[in-house]
Amino acid sequence: MQQRDQYKNIEDFLSDESFLKWVRQGDQRHHWEEWTVENPERAKLVAEARLWVLAMRVSETAVSPLETQNALQAVWNKIEEEEHSQERPMPVVSLWNRIGWRSVAAVLALGLSLGWLYKAQTPTQEKLTYAELIKQDTDGLIEQTNNTNKPQLITLSDGSSVLLQPKSKLSYPKSFAGNERNVYLSGEGFFEISKNPKKPFFVFANEIVTKVIGTSFRVKAYGDQPNVEVVVRTGKVNVSSNQALSSFNTASIQLLPNQAIRFVRNRLAFEKITDITQEKELTKAVAPIEQLSFEFSDVPVAQILKTIEQTYLVEIDYPRERLKDCYLTTSLSDQPLPEKLKILCESLGNTTRYEMNGNQITILSEGCN
Amino acid sequence: MGDELAFSTLFERYYGSLIRYGNSLMAYPERVQDCVQDVFANVWLYRNSLSESVVVKAYLLSSVRKRIARLHERDTFFRQTTSLESVEFSLDFSMEDQLIANEETAAQIAQLNRLINALPARQKEALYLRYHQGLSIEQIGEMLDINHQSVSNLLHRCIQHLRREWKGDLTLVLLLFARIL
Repeated sequence: MQQRDQYKNIEDFLSDESFLKWVRQGDQRHHWEEWTVENPERAKLVAEARLWVLAMRVSETAVSPLETQNALQAVWNKIEEEEHSQERPMPVVSLWNRIGWRSVAAVLALGLSLGWLYKAQTPTQEKLTYAELIKQDTDGLIEQTNNTNKPQLITLSDGSSVLLQPKSKLSYPKSFAGNERNVYLSGEGFFEISKNPKKPFFVFANEIVTKVIGTSFRVKAYGDQPNVEVVVRTGKVNVSSNQALSSFNTASIQLLPNQAIRFVRNRLAFEKITDITQEKELTKAVAPIEQLSFEFSDVPVAQILKTIEQTYLVEIDYPRERLKDCYLTTSLSDQPLPEKLKILCESLGNTTRYEMNGNQITILSEGCN
Repeated sequence: MGDELAFSTLFERYYGSLIRYGNSLMAYPERVQDCVQDVFANVWLYRNSLSESVVVKAYLLSSVRKRIARLHERDTFFRQTTSLESVEFSLDFSMEDQLIANEETAAQIAQLNRLINALPARQKEALYLRYHQGLSIEQIGEMLDINHQSVSNLLHRCIQHLRREWKGDLTLVLLLFARIL
């Protein structure tokens, strides 16, 4: 109300909620009338602004309360449908299965005959790129690109951690809604996934989809390279081709620790590698995180923290003096970084906790038990 | 449970007004309803990932607009609709008949109303979003995909221009009036 003394334009009045209410509903009539007649210049402006409001009525819709309630019910139905269909990754495909492949081929042929316009809008059937994948997921993805020459740590909202290699990109939601955790990778990343059997974790990378419940593994999927690779370090993962591919194969291939799979993009075929030590190409690219052991038996805390620093390329600040006589025996192999830190802190004693701010981790501790 | 109640309240509060806005962008009421309902369904489905800073009304209006624009694009594509332009705002402002005291004022207002309704769609939409929906200049800029300085200029220039035309017209109207009397 103070600032109205400064109003100089019609716009000022039109954007004042209280002014609009006075004109339309007579709210605070006394107040506004009094103020208006204080100053003749002002009175002119107010009179004109009033005419503007009267000339710009938007008649409210004739949506009755009943219609609104019916619409609300329709929305709940949509939500339920959507939540059901999310149990399977891509509902469109299940429909396709029912129609049968012949009619799909017919639709494709028809599609092609529509000419270049149609084609420009549709992703090339047999190659999926990161850009196309994230286009399908329209709901607020965060994208992180590693333009440095060192791996970069990303912590996801579910406590999973990803070491993103140089020249790689990861898109992920701020928090995971629904029954799935979906992320999109271009390039290479090492994933350590927090366990949640109710919400499987999917990595979409080029033409393949890697499904996990809780484990650690590496996905290498550069848009410009001929193969996509998944190497498993702990736990079990399932790899399948993306169902958006017209020739996708519903069967998924299960991988156990130290197994890997290679997807040859131009043949759309999988090659399973049961012993990664026999594959020079795969082993030479192994990042420190996959070589370092996280099995500690009676090891000084300082050394454990150093291993974590090297693996995740983070800096850990901790009270060295207080923790210098602390030794731990623990297994942290199969845990994402936040989980590792949590276990460490719990082992050190109940007042110990950590704070994480990007690559900077601070451990606050009074010493160990 | 609390979430569901909040959602219903949100829905009841904004549904009508979003339908109104949607109808001014697309001439198929059923599809507008569908779009608006989809927007709400997504609000629920992705409620955990919506940023906390989202301003509800601006978000809903802009989601409805985006959805209709997408539909429109698809239509243009597959049904060979003639226009390749993006969605166009086609709401006509009316007059607050009951609040107008005398005929002279009514004539003035009718004149202004006619001028406003003859504005280009984009300017009308900016006026509507700013003065009817109460969105900020920044929010309008984001929605219409122009920078906020341009929104501010657009609104200012449009009002100044209308005022000049209106004043010109008014003298005429008043002359006519004088003659009738």
